[in-house]
Amino acid sequence: MLRLAIRNLFQSRARLVITAGGVALSLLLILTLDAIFQGVERQVSAYIDQSGADVFVAQQGVRNMHMASSSLPAAALGQVEAVPGVGSVTPILYVTNVVSIGDSRNVAYVIGLPDGAQAGGPARTVAGRGLPRPGEAIIDRSIALKAGVGLGDEVKILGRAFTVAGLTTGMVNLVSSVAFISMEDFRQARAGSDAVSFLLVRARDGVPPADLAARIEDQVGGVTAQTTAEFAAGERRVIRDMSTDLLAIMNLVGMLIGLAVMALTTYTASLGRRAEYGVLKALGARNADLRLTVVFQAMLSVALGFTAGLALTFLLAALVPLTGANLLLLVKSDSLVKVGVISLVIAGASAVLPVVQIGRLDPAQVFRGGLGR
Amino acid sequence: MRLAWRNLIQERTRLALSVVGVALAILLILLLQGFLRGMFQQIAAYLEHSPGSVVVAQDGVVNLLGATSLLPQGAAEDVAAVEGVSSVVPILSQFVILDFHGKKQPAYLVGYDPAIGGGPWDMVEGSEPVADDEVVVDRVLAQRHDLGLGDRFQIMDREFTIVGLSQGTTSWMTSFLFIRKTAAEGLVRVPGATSFLLVSPEAGEDAQSLRLRLSGITGTQSLLKTEMIANDSKLFGKLFSAPIRLMAGIAFLVGTLVVGLVIYTATVERRREYGVLKAVGAPNRVLFGVVTLQALVASAAGSLGGVALAAGAASVIMRLRPQFLIILEPSAVGGAIAAGVGMALLAALLPARIVANLPPAEVFRR
Amino acid sequence: MTTATLDVQHVSKVYGDGETQVRAVQDVSLTVGPGEIVLIMGPSGSGKTTLLSMLGALLRPTEGRISLNGEDLTAAGEGRLPGIRLRHFGFIFQDFNLLSALSALENVAIVAQLAGLRNGAARTKAAGVLEALGLGKRLNFLPEKLSGGEKQRVAIARALVNDPALILADEPTANLDSKIGHEIMQVLRRIAKEQGRSVVIVSHDQRIKDIADRVLWLEDGRFKELVTMAEDPVCRMAVERENGISAMWDGDTYYFCSRGCRAEFLENPAEFAHPKRP
Repeated sequence: MLRLAIRNLFQSRARLVITAGGVALSLLLILTLDAIFQGVERQVSAYIDQSGADVFVAQQGVRNMHMASSSLPAAALGQVEAVPGVGSVTPILYVTNVVSIGDSRNVAYVIGLPDGAQAGGPARTVAGRGLPRPGEAIIDRSIALKAGVGLGDEVKILGRAFTVAGLTTGMVNLVSSVAFISMEDFRQARAGSDAVSFLLVRARDGVPPADLAARIEDQVGGVTAQTTAEFAAGERRVIRDMSTDLLAIMNLVGMLIGLAVMALTTYTASLGRRAEYGVLKALGARNADLRLTVVFQAMLSVALGFTAGLALTFLLAALVPLTGANLLLLVKSDSLVKVGVISLVIAGASAVLPVVQIGRLDPAQVFRGGLGR
Repeated sequence: MRLAWRNLIQERTRLALSVVGVALAILLILLLQGFLRGMFQQIAAYLEHSPGSVVVAQDGVVNLLGATSLLPQGAAEDVAAVEGVSSVVPILSQFVILDFHGKKQPAYLVGYDPAIGGGPWDMVEGSEPVADDEVVVDRVLAQRHDLGLGDRFQIMDREFTIVGLSQGTTSWMTSFLFIRKTAAEGLVRVPGATSFLLVSPEAGEDAQSLRLRLSGITGTQSLLKTEMIANDSKLFGKLFSAPIRLMAGIAFLVGTLVVGLVIYTATVERRREYGVLKAVGAPNRVLFGVVTLQALVASAAGSLGGVALAAGAASVIMRLRPQFLIILEPSAVGGAIAAGVGMALLAALLPARIVANLPPAEVFRR
Repeated sequence: MTTATLDVQHVSKVYGDGETQVRAVQDVSLTVGPGEIVLIMGPSGSGKTTLLSMLGALLRPTEGRISLNGEDLTAAGEGRLPGIRLRHFGFIFQDFNLLSALSALENVAIVAQLAGLRNGAARTKAAGVLEALGLGKRLNFLPEKLSGGEKQRVAIARALVNDPALILADEPTANLDSKIGHEIMQVLRRIAKEQGRSVVIVSHDQRIKDIADRVLWLEDGRFKELVTMAEDPVCRMAVERENGISAMWDGDTYYFCSRGCRAEFLENPAEFAHPKRP
């Protein structure tokens, strides 16, 4: 009976394409949306992940960088340095601002780096310098390319002109990038206050970052200290919490679409086989044998659709960056498991009607010149 | 065209399933569009209801909801001194992330002076903040996190008490929070800081020319409020347009596939009848008409169903999750019908080809 | 007389009740022995199909009893019928009714598998039966690539593969041309005689009478008194002996379709005389 299911499924190529294709597209909807949000999550924490720090110290109550701001008094630097287990402390200034190149305006996280910064600088420089000197800015390569500028050209940040001294990669997303200037320049643009935004701490060898973070919070007042991993996770949580409801709605609609398509194709396929199933019944096949065939055929169709949907998603993930858009599609195993379960449900539900109808097939019809409708 | 109709409804369950498939595809397309439209309305809400028609921001900043803006000290006085300026409303604003029982809630914090303006425009409960530890919160945000008047929560490192609930100040991504400007200055540790100046021109004064006159002030950027709204829309549009267009495209393909399957199967089953028609002299044109008509009927029913579904789904979603705003406009509905027609025409292509290649001799076999 | 394979006792099939009652089959009795070929003929609507369906355990009689090799089919529970059909009956249809997606070999093997044979054994057995029917070179062909005669032979192979006691055939030659139809008839005859299976054929086709041991005439749901057929020596038509138009000559009785043929015969009897058909 399994062989019958396979042969029936592959008998008409057009039908097979439509069936598997329909399922593939519905699953693609779900997979792609998941992948987009996973990609955004990954991108959103990129700077933190690549910062080289073990602990991030921020203004008390501030646990995020994206869509947040933090301000620490200059004295906090010394206080944190004094905490045992601290290897180095790099202060940075941070604000979400704009890199203006000619007429183009690019939202960017602007980081002010001190001389000799041991953390918090760009991780992957593809041209020029990695640390900015006064008057210089390090910007993202794709932003530069799009605006048609390169090393030595002028850009405006925080209302002042800078010369591009380096190009980075790996810290850009669909709407923003990261730009680095010197802390002096940043301070001047901010009316000279000596406050800092974050303190990036590197732990001494053998000191676990979690312990160090707890110790810093204990010993230094008015700060929140998180390990880099916690901090990055918090950034990703913002995206995740924001998108839960949206994803749930879209997943539901995608699943319903997949179900409708599968139900339609399974029903149509089984309808066309009514006469043959009737013959088999007359020859002595039991209901269970025929139902097994129908269910197996549905499962197989969905499996093919799932594979095709997965392949399409990976294809999209590979093609989208080629279009120049800084959109990252990331397919994670959670998403695959979820979509796999959805596929099983779809396959099962779509087979219900045909399975019921098999019970009602009257084998005696086989002698009356064919079992049509 | 009774033939077309009869062939189609002969198999009622199959037709019903295909109509459902098309309806769902149209539902998705309409929801996506409605969601986008609603989002644009939500993000424009603050600027649309705030005073003034020209906005002065930090040099280089052209969005409200993009970069953080900090005006140079004394900018407010410089602006007020310009001819034709009737009133200047300063606000200090930025994004903050609130931590509510483990969930991260982005919010846009607006620090304003209730005596001057720039705060919530529609209060449903309570009053505007009087002290520096009071906050007005959007009512949907409050509802989502089980908060009410008198409750306290943390913004950055300070605690605030909810003294008022506002309306129309939320989006699915963030909500607006209103505190006193002095309180906001304390939070960011910059006394006297101002992000934006909302400028109103004197009576008879043209906003555009006022804007030009304001553009001379160093360290600032002035733009029409309408421009700023458009920039915000563009920014968020850029963020969402690719995924939304992708999904709408996929939904369209699915709808086409569904209609295509039904028409294809119906055509293949009725091969002999079509052959008979051909044998008695019906031209291909007529047979194409039959096939296309079937496709159009199936997709028309699906489109109408999809529109109804969308209206229903939108109201259910907005009731269960009031942070979403889904706007279904008549033009979108027209677009959905057009999409349905497009699906039908595409879906009819393969069956039309089958019918065209059918030899009339089929009729004499067996 | 050998033990009957198929024993049908006073079987009726009634649809509906009261005024709209339809008696499709009325008090039919019949026995068929092993190796015997019985042909059931009759006009359309006479109940042939209904009777065949009941014989094949596809339809329950309203009254009466049907036994196969001593086993009472009418008393068997609904759940046992498919198994009985699978193992004891072989069906041959007018439209062949092969599964379009399966090859000739697979069409036969699937029935063997349903009866419990494992895949490999089923295929081997199927191949054997098909080869015996001359289809050794067509094993992997799809039905659409087979001629009518080949398709019917695949159907016959399918009917035989589970070694059934009874073959039931519904208009087996209706969709075949004369020569092929004749070949199929010979195949059916061989199966009955060489393999000892009972064969019941329902057909309009006069030629099948050539291979049938008995011809039964069903009309309005009844066997019209077990008629015995004879052949009119003049016009060669099948005629019922009981119709009354007969003549004796040289100690034998001859039966005619009409007075005209009898008159013709009597003018020159020696020329037309044939041995009586059993």
